[in-house]
Amino acid sequence: MLMSIVRTAYRFIRFDRAKSIGVMVGIVISTFLIGQQLGIAFFLSGLMSAVVDNSSGDIWVIDTRAKDANQVGFIDSRNTRLVQSIPGVAIAYPIVITGGKATFPDGSNTAISLIGSDAPLFKAGPMQKNIIEGSFDNLLNEGAVTADYYDRDNFGGSAAVGQSFEISGKRAYIAVQTKGVRGFGGTMMYTTIDRARYYGNVSDKSISAIVLNVKSGANADSVVTAINKTIYGVRAWKKGELSFSTVYTILFTSGIGVSTGSLIIFAIISGFFIIGLTMYSSALDRLKDYGTLKAIGANNRYIRALILGQAFSFAIIGFIIAYLLLLAFIKGSEPSGLVVHFPIWVLAALFMVTLLISLSGAIFALRRIKGVEPASVFR
Amino acid sequence: MSSIIAKVVNASKEYKTGDTTITALQPTSLEIETGQLTLIIGPSGSGKTTLLSLIGCVIYPTSGEVWVDGVKVNDLNENQLAALRLNKIGFVFQGFNLIAPLNGLENVMLPLELMGISHKEARNRAMEALEKVKMTDRMKNLPKALSGGQQQRVAIARALVTNPKIMLCDEPTAALDTKSVSVVMEELKMLAQEGKALAVVTHDLRLRQFADRIIYVNDGFVSDKPFEDENLSH
Repeated sequence: MLMSIVRTAYRFIRFDRAKSIGVMVGIVISTFLIGQQLGIAFFLSGLMSAVVDNSSGDIWVIDTRAKDANQVGFIDSRNTRLVQSIPGVAIAYPIVITGGKATFPDGSNTAISLIGSDAPLFKAGPMQKNIIEGSFDNLLNEGAVTADYYDRDNFGGSAAVGQSFEISGKRAYIAVQTKGVRGFGGTMMYTTIDRARYYGNVSDKSISAIVLNVKSGANADSVVTAINKTIYGVRAWKKGELSFSTVYTILFTSGIGVSTGSLIIFAIISGFFIIGLTMYSSALDRLKDYGTLKAIGANNRYIRALILGQAFSFAIIGFIIAYLLLLAFIKGSEPSGLVVHFPIWVLAALFMVTLLISLSGAIFALRRIKGVEPASVFR
Repeated sequence: MSSIIAKVVNASKEYKTGDTTITALQPTSLEIETGQLTLIIGPSGSGKTTLLSLIGCVIYPTSGEVWVDGVKVNDLNENQLAALRLNKIGFVFQGFNLIAPLNGLENVMLPLELMGISHKEARNRAMEALEKVKMTDRMKNLPKALSGGQQQRVAIARALVTNPKIMLCDEPTAALDTKSVSVVMEELKMLAQEGKALAVVTHDLRLRQFADRIIYVNDGFVSDKPFEDENLSH
């Protein structure tokens, strides 16, 4: 019976080619737009939380007022020792995050965010997996900083190791090239903590954050609670929570969240109506066929399955086409630095949304067909 | 040997439109027997299609009872009615009513697949039915690629493929040319001779030659004899 429904649904789709294409275009446009917006949102959220995500600590300690890791105020550097004394803390590392202006030999300049942490571990980042040229050892040299491949246009066209430039009028050079280590709203450069202080004119009494690892077997939540209870003027966050808070804060203070969310909602609504009305129109064309089916003995369950079978087929084919278009979009936008990754759960969610749009769009047709009486074939 | 396969007992049908009640069929009693081709003759709007719809279990009577193969139709819900139609009744319509996106073979296979019969067996039985109406050579064609007569023969194959006890035909020759009328009626007559009960609704008096029994319908009244003021148009 199931195969019969699938076959018949396929025949109906193929027979009404123009309307089937209409439904398919509606699904493809909606799914592509939703996927594209989600992809961009994920990319941007990755940039937003890059400062936290590129670090290798378990817990971040920042000033009490900050909820966004890109907007932390300075705290007293002596807090590092206080944090170190909390039970469960393995090692605490001070971090300095400061701004500056990078000027290149060709005269181009760009605002940078300089992140410094203690050598040789560089707990603030970057991560080894992101380094495509040079090594952490190179960062020990005088004036050494990292630069990202995707920011090369900001550096006069090249982020290659060896390029000299100035940070706020002080000599520096690219010692390590990374790929995919970028910040939200500014170019990120990693270096040692002392060099970050030097370029940013930050006093050695101040730091921006403390990154710490908990001892093996210690509970991170307990350490966070202990720091928040014991040390005045700072707040401890588990890395993931600060990352989430950073993204959440930026999304809802910048309007990006509302903008992306509304685009997705409108893509869903427009898809729903395009598909719904086209399937409804197609059902109107086939009223006689559905009436005949009922008259010769098809029950309502079969008719429902036939219509939903068509909607399901539209969803699968539409999703595949939209996914191929998304792959082309990803490929096309990568050279410009817009690196979009779709985790498998996002793809699964996107398919579920496509299915939802398609099946709910079939409600119009279902309601119309439900009202067709078998006796109508005799009129 | 003939037996009663469908029975209408004092059944009537009324339709309500706003405050107006239209009586499409006055209280009527009749029986349809196997092995007979029963012609139901009457002018347009006389109630003959309503009578066919009652016997075909696509509508409920307003009063009275309808019985098909020993089952009282009044007591069945929509799904039970659909199952009864699928298993006991074959339909042939005036406008052929083949499912447009399906080819001839698929149209004939459809009732069998609705019954849950496997694809392979449905295909074999559909081929047999199409052979019976001599339509195997055009079975892969969509209905739009067939002539009216050919479509009606495929429709007959679809109606008889489930081996129903009763076949109901609503103006089966109305959209056909003279030559096709004879072919289709001969096929229907043959099915009656094979033991099926056939009820054919028509307003074409020329079909009387094929009938074993004629029922006349006029203004919602049913009779075994022609009405005096009957004015059938041809």
